[in-house]
Parts: sequence; C-alpha cells; structure tokens
Amino acid sequence: MTQDMLLTMVSGVPWTIALTAVALLIGVVLGIPLCAMRMSKLVVLRMVANTLILTLRAIPPIVWLFFIFFGLDTGFVSLNPFQAAAIGLGLITAANMAEIYRGAMSAIHSGQSEASMALGLSTYHRFFDVLGPQLFRVALPSAASYAIGLLKDSAIASTIGVHEIAFQASHVSQRTFRGLDVYAVAGLLYILLSLPIAWASRWADLHLRARVAR
Amino acid sequence: MSLNSSSIPQADVASRPPLLRLDAIGKTFGTHVVLEDIDLSLAAGEVVAIIGPSGSGKSTLLRCINQLEPPTTGRVTIGDTTIEAGHTPTRRELMALRRNIGMVFQSFNLFPHLTVLRNVSLAQERVMGRTREQADAVSMQLLARVGLADKAQQFPSRCSGGQQQRIAIARALALDPQIMLFDEPTSALDPELGLEVLAVMRELAEGGMTMIVVTHEMRFAENVSDRVIIMADGRIVEQGPSGTVMRNPQTERAQRFLHAVKDR
Amino acid sequence: MNDLVDFWLEHLPAMLDGLLVSVQVTGVSLAIGVPLGLMLALAVQSRSKPMRGIAIVVVEVGRGAPALILLQFTYFGLPNAGLSLDSFASAVIALAWCTGAYTSEIIRAGLEAVPHGQKEAAEAIGLNHLDALRYVILPQALRVSVPALLGFSILMLQASSLCFAIALPELVSQAYLIGSTTFRYMPILVLAGLLYAAICIPATIAVSALERKLGAHA
Ligand SMILES: Nc1ncnc2c1ncn2[C@@H]1O[C@H](COP(=O)(O)OP(=O)(O)OP(=O)(O)O)[C@@H](O)[C@H]1O
Ligand SMILES: [Mg+2]
Repeated sequence: MTQDMLLTMVSGVPWTIALTAVALLIGVVLGIPLCAMRMSKLVVLRMVANTLILTLRAIPPIVWLFFIFFGLDTGFVSLNPFQAAAIGLGLITAANMAEIYRGAMSAIHSGQSEASMALGLSTYHRFFDVLGPQLFRVALPSAASYAIGLLKDSAIASTIGVHEIAFQASHVSQRTFRGLDVYAVAGLLYILLSLPIAWASRWADLHLRARVAR
Repeated sequence: MSLNSSSIPQADVASRPPLLRLDAIGKTFGTHVVLEDIDLSLAAGEVVAIIGPSGSGKSTLLRCINQLEPPTTGRVTIGDTTIEAGHTPTRRELMALRRNIGMVFQSFNLFPHLTVLRNVSLAQERVMGRTREQADAVSMQLLARVGLADKAQQFPSRCSGGQQQRIAIARALALDPQIMLFDEPTSALDPELGLEVLAVMRELAEGGMTMIVVTHEMRFAENVSDRVIIMADGRIVEQGPSGTVMRNPQTERAQRFLHAVKDR
Repeated sequence: MNDLVDFWLEHLPAMLDGLLVSVQVTGVSLAIGVPLGLMLALAVQSRSKPMRGIAIVVVEVGRGAPALILLQFTYFGLPNAGLSLDSFASAVIALAWCTGAYTSEIIRAGLEAVPHGQKEAAEAIGLNHLDALRYVILPQALRVSVPALLGFSILMLQASSLCFAIALPELVSQAYLIGSTTFRYMPILVLAGLLYAAICIPATIAVSALERKLGAHA
C-alpha cells in the first residue's frame, strides 16, 4: 500500500464523518415529532407514524438512496449525491430514533398512557424541562450504538457517488487491482472512526448517570 | 434404595467405616476466608444436619463436597475416590464423585424446558448410559416415591414449589447416589409446602439414606438427624448427637445461635 | 396508472428472480452464519486465550466493518490472495461473517440469561460440560435468543441488497438494470421497495408479536 493510496482513502474520512453527522442530526430532530405522533392519542396520527416507521425500516437503505437520487431526479428536484444520501439516511435514522425515544419513554414511565400524556401540548414544559434530560440519558446508549451503525451504513452512499471512504476504496482498488489491502484498510478506518463514538458514549453515560442519579 | 428398611440405630452408625470424609477443607474467595479447617466424616446411613447463622459457610461447604466450588485446601474422599485441593480433578474423578452424591438446591433448579419425567431421566441416559425406556421406567418409580407420578408429563412451571422440590429430590436420586446433600430445601417454600418436602426427606432418612441437610428447620434437625453440626464464621463450633447439641449446647457461640433461633 | 401497472407486470418476473436470489443468499448466509455465531459465542467465553483472541477479532471486525466493505473485500480482495470466488460465494462468505459476528452477541446474551443455578444443577447430576451445554444451557439460551435472531434475519435480507455492489443479480441489481435500460428508475425502485416491504413489514410485526408473547410468559 503506497502513501498515495492511503492518502486517497483517508481523503474520504471527512465525507464519511460529514454524512454521518448530517444524517444523524436530521434523524435526531425529525425523530421527535415522529415519536410524538407514534404515541399520540389520535389513532390516525399513530397509524401514519407507525406506517412511516415500518416502511422506512423495512426497505433497505440502498433502495431509499437510489430512489431519492435516481428516482426523484427525473423532474423538478435535482439533488447532488451528498444531499440525496443525507436525506435518505436521515429519514431512516428518524424512524429508528423515534423507536429509541419511545423505548426510553417507556423505560422512564411504567405506563405508556402516562408517557403519551407527557407528550401532550399542555405539559410542554414538563416534557422539555423534566423529562427531556432523563430521556436523553436513557436513550443515549442505544442512540450511540445506532450512530455507529449509521457510520457503517454511510458506506452505502458510495454507490451513488459520495466521495466517502468506501467510494475512495473502490476507486483505488479499481485503479491498482489491490482489493485485499485496500478494503482491509477501509474496514479498519471505519472501525477506528467508531471507537471515539463508543468512548464518548461510555464517558457521557457515566458522567450523566452520576449527575442524574444524584 | 428401599425406603422401608428400618432406621439405623445411633451406636451402629458410629462404628461403621466412613462413607464420606472431609479433611481440613478450607475455602477462600480472594482474601475472604469462608471455610477454615473443616473435618467431617459420615458413616453410611447417617443423617447430619448443619445449622448456623447466615453467611457462616454452610452452602459453601456443601458445594465444596461435590466440587461445584473447588475447595482451596483439604481433601474430599468418597469411596475410593479422593479429590485433593489444588489439583484439578480429572473428569473421571469428578464423575465418580458426582454420581455418588445427589444434591438438592434451595431454589430447586429444575430444567424448565424439559418435562418432569425428562428432568429425572436425563442424567440416567447421559451419565449412566441407560436407554430412554429404562430411564423413564426408573424415573416413574422415583416420581411415584415422591408422590408425583401424575406430574410426569407436565413442565416444572406447572407444579407448586413443594412439588418442584420433590421432583428435584427424585432427580437427585436418579443416579442412585450414596449420599444426598440438601441446601435449605424448604427455605423457598411456604411452611405448608415445606412439610410435604420434609416428609419425603424423613422417609428417605428412615430408609437408610446417608444425608447432609443444611437447614433452618430446628425441629427437623432435632428429630430426624442423628447428628447436628453448628457452624459459625466458616468453622464447626459444635457437633454431636442431635438431642444433646440442640438441648444442651456446650460452647458459648452455639448457645448464642440456638437462643436466637429457639422460637422457630 | 394503467401504464405503471403494465410496466410493473412486464418486469415483475425479472424482479421476482432477483428477489429469489436475495432470499437464497440471505438463507444460505444465515444457515452458515448462525452456527458460526454460536461457535463464536462459545469461543469468546472459552478458557483458552488464543481461541478467545481469535474469536474476539472475528467478531469485532465482522461487527465493526460495514457489510459493504466485507462484501467488496471478499469479492475484489480475496482474488489477490489467490482465491477467486463468484459473486454468490463471496456474498455468502461476507454475509455469513457479518451474521456470525452479530448473532454471537445475541447468543451470548441468551447464554448469560440462563440462571447460574441451571449450570450447577446440570453439573451436580453429573452431566459433563458438553452435555450440560447441549441438553440444559443451549436449549434455554436459544429460546431466549429466537426473537432477536429472527429480527436479525430480517435485517440480513435487507443487507443482501448490498450485493448489488458485487454484481450479484439480486433484487436491487435487477431494479437498477431495468432502471438503466428503461430510464424509469422511480417506478422500478418503488416496486423493489414494495417487494422488500411485503416481506419485511409482516415479518417485523410477527417478530414483535412473538417478542411480546415470550416477554409476557417470562
Ligand atoms: N462465589 C462467591 N464469591 C465470593 N464470596 C462468596 C461466594 N459464595 C459465597 N461467598 C461468601 O461466603 C460466605 C458464606 O456463604 P454461604 O452461602 O456458604 O453461607 P450460608 O451459611 O449458606 O448462608 P445462608 O444461611 O444465608 O445461606 C458469605 O460471606 C458469602 O458472601
Ligand atoms: Mg446458604
């Protein structure tokens, strides 16, 4: 493996990080209303949310990315690969985050009815001031392991041409015909990138546990 | 394995060669000394009750005997098998030991995914090499003996606690052991259910089974066992014929313990 | 609308062929990967240090590297080491590796869920290590693991879509091919999505129902 090859692959790292971060942000934010709908008292809202979540999770990410990139591109909207990948992965993340929030809610509350009451508008403040921080702490470990999964899923964006690690790896491997070490290094890069997330999550978990537990 | 042979008189018991011998058994967990210098020898047909305060090492002693917990020092001898602390016993030695010792746990530990019959048959097939038919036939007899033949095809979860413990006794008897160890077999049970288990144990004792029973049932210790051992802080603080020890303890530690539990 | 239905009907046979390949590659990978996961779960708890070390590396790489990279590694990489495999065999190796790594964690959790008293009881009645595992511990551990293993199987069917990258003619490859020849990506991708959803949504609902049922009994 030459230095040149290695540098090319490492040049994908910022793209991988950026894609993961943007998709995660979209998912973390959109997951909140989706979770609220999923736990709403209105049957219609619940059903819509449930269908959305099930559909987003049932169809493989690569199909969503192709759909958004090739499918939507035919007419008035035109997305670049990064945008398409961020939206696709972000929506899938939203569905998964909604489920993670819901799991955390029922872990905090014993009863689901109570949890959905907390989501009513009248208790808006109670939710954000009291429940929010607790929710954050309970949801953190699953959210962190989801983030690591997302980091790995972001490799799929190479198939629509986002210049991230997997893209650079296949580029280099096609150029040099050295798949063995190229893909081994690519795999290693992903593993290395996931380590800080795991550490940060463990650190935050300990830190917050000490605080919330008092 | 007949239940009906008459109980063995006290004097007779002491003169027989020991069936089980413990020499200087010690056990430490890290730096925590749980058992220290335990000597014990058990004649065939003898029933020994071990009593003592919580944490005194009673369960650990039982578990050291059948090597669920390897002792740190000392020696366990049963028949012509001797297991020395410090040497990892061979598989053959362990098998010889465990085939000769049946154990009944406080929490029954029946296999929940197997029927009552399979619970009792499993070891006969896998350890004694009996066929399924032979094993099931023996198991049915054993279940009949503990009064549960009608539960054979049920799963343990469908049985009451007392029934489960009686099944556990049948399971332990299935290998035709020479010695039975009981670790607080009635502690997890309502008193009423405990009685049906104690009745089975009493019958076993009267049938000549050699038994070590860790118990909080002072009446059982006094009336059924031949000998009582009182443990405290990992040591044997007093032992002797059950009547004497229970009514007339000599050491201050034993007196204190018996005084504390005399209402039970 | 009629036009869309005609388009779908025209290409449905090719898409179903693709779906069949997806299901086959998933099935074979699971059939190899789950037993591998069981072995890894046991090896990770083994007393032998080298064994434990190897198992941990296999699990951590299988879980840590993206499935796409594993696929490309086996398909484009292994030929460098003198091992050229067709895309189906490469896919099976990569996905079975991934399955083994993930299911070893699922099975390990199942093993840990079996109460310690069960192992002791098995030992006390004289069962040797292997028999205790086979007759007492594993049946209980696997029972606990079943919902998670089924859930993982659904994820694997989805992951098989990544075999697109190594030219395995599975569902996404077929859709992509049809899309690139007809320039009608949108409808064919919708059909692909519908086919995945038709399998995965009912399966997901069934698995969570099973989970609830087992949870209620525990
Ligand atoms: N696996 C272990 N690791 C560390 N310490 C242990 C272990 N098992 C037992 N101990 C300790 O050994 C001591 C004796 O325990 P043991 O269970 O033998 O007492 P016991 O007399 O049976 O008490 P009880 O009447 O409550 O059942 C206790 O202090 C206990 O904490
Ligand atoms: Mg005890």
